[in-house]
Amino acid sequence: MNLSDSKKKLALAGIVCGLVAVCLAIYGNPANMAFCIACFIRDMAGALGMHQAEVVQYARPEIIGLVLGAFIISFATKEYRSTGGSSPMIRFVLGMIIMIGSLVFLGCPLRMVLRMSAGDGNAWVALIGFILGVGTGAFALKKGFSLGRAYVTNKTGGMVLPALMVGVLLLSVFTSLLKSSESGPGSMHAPLILSLIGGLIFGAFAQKSRMCFAGGIRDVILMKNFDLLTVIVGLFAVMLVYNLVSGNFVLGFNTPGVIAHSEHLWNILGMYAVGFAAVLAGGCPLRQLILAGQGSSDSAVTVLGMFVGAALCHNFGLASSGTSLNPETKELVAGAVTTNGKIALVICIVVCFVIAFTNKRKEA
Amino acid sequence: MRQKELKLVVTFHTTADAMAMEKACKNAAVPGRLIPVPRMISAGCGLAWCAGLENRAQIVGLMEQTGIEQEELHECMV
Repeated sequence: MNLSDSKKKLALAGIVCGLVAVCLAIYGNPANMAFCIACFIRDMAGALGMHQAEVVQYARPEIIGLVLGAFIISFATKEYRSTGGSSPMIRFVLGMIIMIGSLVFLGCPLRMVLRMSAGDGNAWVALIGFILGVGTGAFALKKGFSLGRAYVTNKTGGMVLPALMVGVLLLSVFTSLLKSSESGPGSMHAPLILSLIGGLIFGAFAQKSRMCFAGGIRDVILMKNFDLLTVIVGLFAVMLVYNLVSGNFVLGFNTPGVIAHSEHLWNILGMYAVGFAAVLAGGCPLRQLILAGQGSSDSAVTVLGMFVGAALCHNFGLASSGTSLNPETKELVAGAVTTNGKIALVICIVVCFVIAFTNKRKEA
Repeated sequence: MRQKELKLVVTFHTTADAMAMEKACKNAAVPGRLIPVPRMISAGCGLAWCAGLENRAQIVGLMEQTGIEQEELHECMV
């Protein structure tokens, strides 16, 4: 089925992915974090012992499902193509930047859209930063930014990340080696089989529709093309309806339990870094997982960068805290961005500029 | 809504090559526009150059002249 020959079908892909997110939220994923790539990679990094934040450790089957869903559908439809060799270490750094920016904001672009659909004003503020970041990346593209071409590699090269994901799945099902949170967001999850199926479906539809949050805005800026944005609008519409019907829609800024903070400048800068780095890396966190599933070793390296970035965020105190209610006093405790997080984020943005304007296409 | 027509679609190894093609075509007044790579051609999300079939020789010549390397030339409904 060609999902991209009309805007209606693209919107349908977004709606299906939105329904997956709704199901996962209903069956136990954290409220307002039904499906977040950054948060879930952070949880997986915790499960693997890469960081020691006890409340965010769980081998999220959704991430495994996304990669395997893209791998299976691309293999079945003869679109699997093992490629690599396009500045892998720069992509690794971009993956780290994407994760640091996401965890300062508290969510990837997918979760930003989910939070927007639930009325979280902070996510709408962060959208400004994301658009500016993508715009800066698009400007760099216009100025000749390039990480160099990828080459076709041995067929098995692109299968490494999907195989590693199968390994993590087997460890989580058959052993007790992986860490698993007993409280906090990491302890809140839908049943494993449902999460895995949800991830597989989401991954397959994202592969077929080329869903990409950064790409959607990039295409509007560079070509006034709204195709990719249509997928996002479909996803947003489903989540908005669900939130309105279920009573989860709360318009405001300081909403406890949402896992968000109201430091506007840092919400903007966090998503600015994510948007900028995502355009330079050729896709948002979700897209990186999908590209890795369909054979790109370059994207797989970006994903590894995101894992390391997540570990750094919690080992060095870069991740922000969310607004919450003190369980004893019932007072509102405002979420905050840490000083380390602010310093790291400024460094990340500087590094993005260095990467963007020092890696140029070679003139013939 | 715009009717789909059979067009010449040039794909490139990198987005930067596509951007360079846009610049070269503008400078040489060769008609065409940047588009997302059509889904029927690729599962990737890069950019392609789309032009009328009648501009094929002109476009191939321009790419040779400017050293812009194509990935492939396609004829497809866009």
